[in-house]
Amino acid sequence: MKAAMKYLPRLAPESWRVVYAIVAAIVLFLIGEAVHPGFLGLANVETILVIASFVGLVAAGQCFVILIGGIDLSVPWVLNAGAIVLATTSMGLDARAPLAVAATLGLGIAVGAVNGAGVAWFGIPAVVMTLAMNGIIEGLVLGFTGGFTCAACSAYAPPVVQSLAHGALLGVPDALWLWVVVIVLVSAVLSITRFGRATYALGNNPRAAVLAGVDARGLTIMLYAASGFFAALAGIMLVGFGGQASLGMGDPYLFTSIAAVVIGGVNILGGRGHYLGVAAGAVSLTVLVSVLLALNMPDYVRSIAYGVVILALLLAYGRETET
Amino acid sequence: MPPETSSLTLPRGSRLGHTIAQNIGLILAGSILLLAILGFVLIYALEQHRLPGNFELTSTVNSAMPLVFAAVGQSFVVLTKGIDLSVGGVVDLANAMAAVTMGKTLGSALLWSVVILFVGAACGLLNGLLVGLGRLQPIVVTLGTLSIFQGLAIRVLPQPGGAIPPSFTDLLVNPNAPYALIFIVLLGLGWAAFRRSRPGVDLYAIGNDEAASRTLGVNVLRTKIIAYMLDGLLAAAAGLFLAASATAGDATTGDSYTLTSIVAVVLGGVSLFGGRGSAIGAIAGALITTLIVDILFFGHVDPLFQSFYEGVFLLIAVVAGGVIGGAIRRRR
Repeated sequence: MKAAMKYLPRLAPESWRVVYAIVAAIVLFLIGEAVHPGFLGLANVETILVIASFVGLVAAGQCFVILIGGIDLSVPWVLNAGAIVLATTSMGLDARAPLAVAATLGLGIAVGAVNGAGVAWFGIPAVVMTLAMNGIIEGLVLGFTGGFTCAACSAYAPPVVQSLAHGALLGVPDALWLWVVVIVLVSAVLSITRFGRATYALGNNPRAAVLAGVDARGLTIMLYAASGFFAALAGIMLVGFGGQASLGMGDPYLFTSIAAVVIGGVNILGGRGHYLGVAAGAVSLTVLVSVLLALNMPDYVRSIAYGVVILALLLAYGRETET
Repeated sequence: MPPETSSLTLPRGSRLGHTIAQNIGLILAGSILLLAILGFVLIYALEQHRLPGNFELTSTVNSAMPLVFAAVGQSFVVLTKGIDLSVGGVVDLANAMAAVTMGKTLGSALLWSVVILFVGAACGLLNGLLVGLGRLQPIVVTLGTLSIFQGLAIRVLPQPGGAIPPSFTDLLVNPNAPYALIFIVLLGLGWAAFRRSRPGVDLYAIGNDEAASRTLGVNVLRTKIIAYMLDGLLAAAAGLFLAASATAGDATTGDSYTLTSIVAVVLGGVSLFGGRGSAIGAIAGALITTLIVDILFFGHVDPLFQSFYEGVFLLIAVVAGGVIGGAIRRRR
């Protein structure tokens, strides 16, 4: 065993966790093929990856805030509000799509920035701030749309947005191209920019980071704004994918995005982890659900298996070092 | 900090001032509760042209009971610097089990209540073992077990239904008089006894500084397991009260208690950073949360905007509490 270890590359524990997360995703794919032959068919894998990309987008934002020891519980209704704003402001017209997309992303950024301001300036715990924000957005959406009965509420997403979610370029779905761009950008931002290094520094030791010249408040606001941006972006992709917005469409993304981040090897207390692992975590969770669906498992088995697998993966490689 | 500098910053005010500063979270929670009660009475009197009577008191107390128990359970874990997202799942499971098993007589209902409370404690034990022995963060452990408990609840009761004996409903949430207040008093007394016991003291110690308390001989693993088991037991009790109020079961109505119990704990002045606050505060927080809903209802606020006002209220309460608490601590 020791002799074999010698040939393995020397990686930091966090980097190993990224490897584990990717291995877990591949193993889950193989299990899927074993229990349901044909699972690894190109069309099926593509579908799974596209669905995983929606989780992956939300998890990108969640990853940013968890890296500084925060959390974003406002994701479900920011996503939902984003989907509704896109559909209602565009009225299904391509001509209005650019403005609608800008408005939706702007909304996400604005809500996220308010979250960040509450955490950074008023010292409100992230759990409380974002939980309250989730309720605030939910109430506003329900109130202003009259419980989603407004005339514009049934509007379809503009064709151009729908084709973004369904179309393909060079044989690869557009949604995956978008995700690849996000993976490259987020990974690059986190590992080679000043912004990224400051994020890790703030997550590891806020005091030391501030003493080293990091603008903790500004950075916190930007990171929460990024989380709002990605939740709104996921809302755009989802309304494009499904055609119409609906109430509660963001709810499944709250716990799933957090699970993807921690399975991806990011420390929930902040300071350590990579987005590549998070992307693998999003794939793992989606594959898991697909396998259980392919096996025609009843709802309750799916729910239990989901929990058991998350805990098993965490016990396998997500444990804290001995104190 | 060397001793000579620390002696300079020791509190020099009166004993009363010291007590106030120590219990500022609880005092603030009590003040908010008082304001909420006054607000409710005022709005009710303005709208209905009479003061709220026995019926209003009874229905408010009864509807608050599940949250009171869930919030007290949550407070045990939050005091250890943890958080329990699986509360909703345990409430679901207890609710579903109650609806399926209780039958028609009070005797069988009480017997099964004991079983269900044990199941809740077992759920807590699982959480506690994973957190303590597994060295995993509470938030991710309970995220996983939430999914497991929700699945089990749906397995027990796939469709809403089942039945709760009326005698059981009368015992837990009597619709004629606010007898349920007795359970709140018992909960408070139980907390007061626990707070003075060894595990109670240890709970605060590990919430404040886990490494230091371990060095001083606190059995961290045992204390955490006790906290999570009590949390699970009380969440199951919340499920029983929920079933008694609804007189039937539903394996998903308990989901909302995960987040509302956290809100109640925060409003009750329990710090999410551990080691500060008390279960009494959590009870106050649960009553405040329930009263806010009532105030919005009698104030004829559009129910669609309800969660908006709840969110705004939560933020105002937390910011105001932080400002006032900080000001009092600084003045000393």
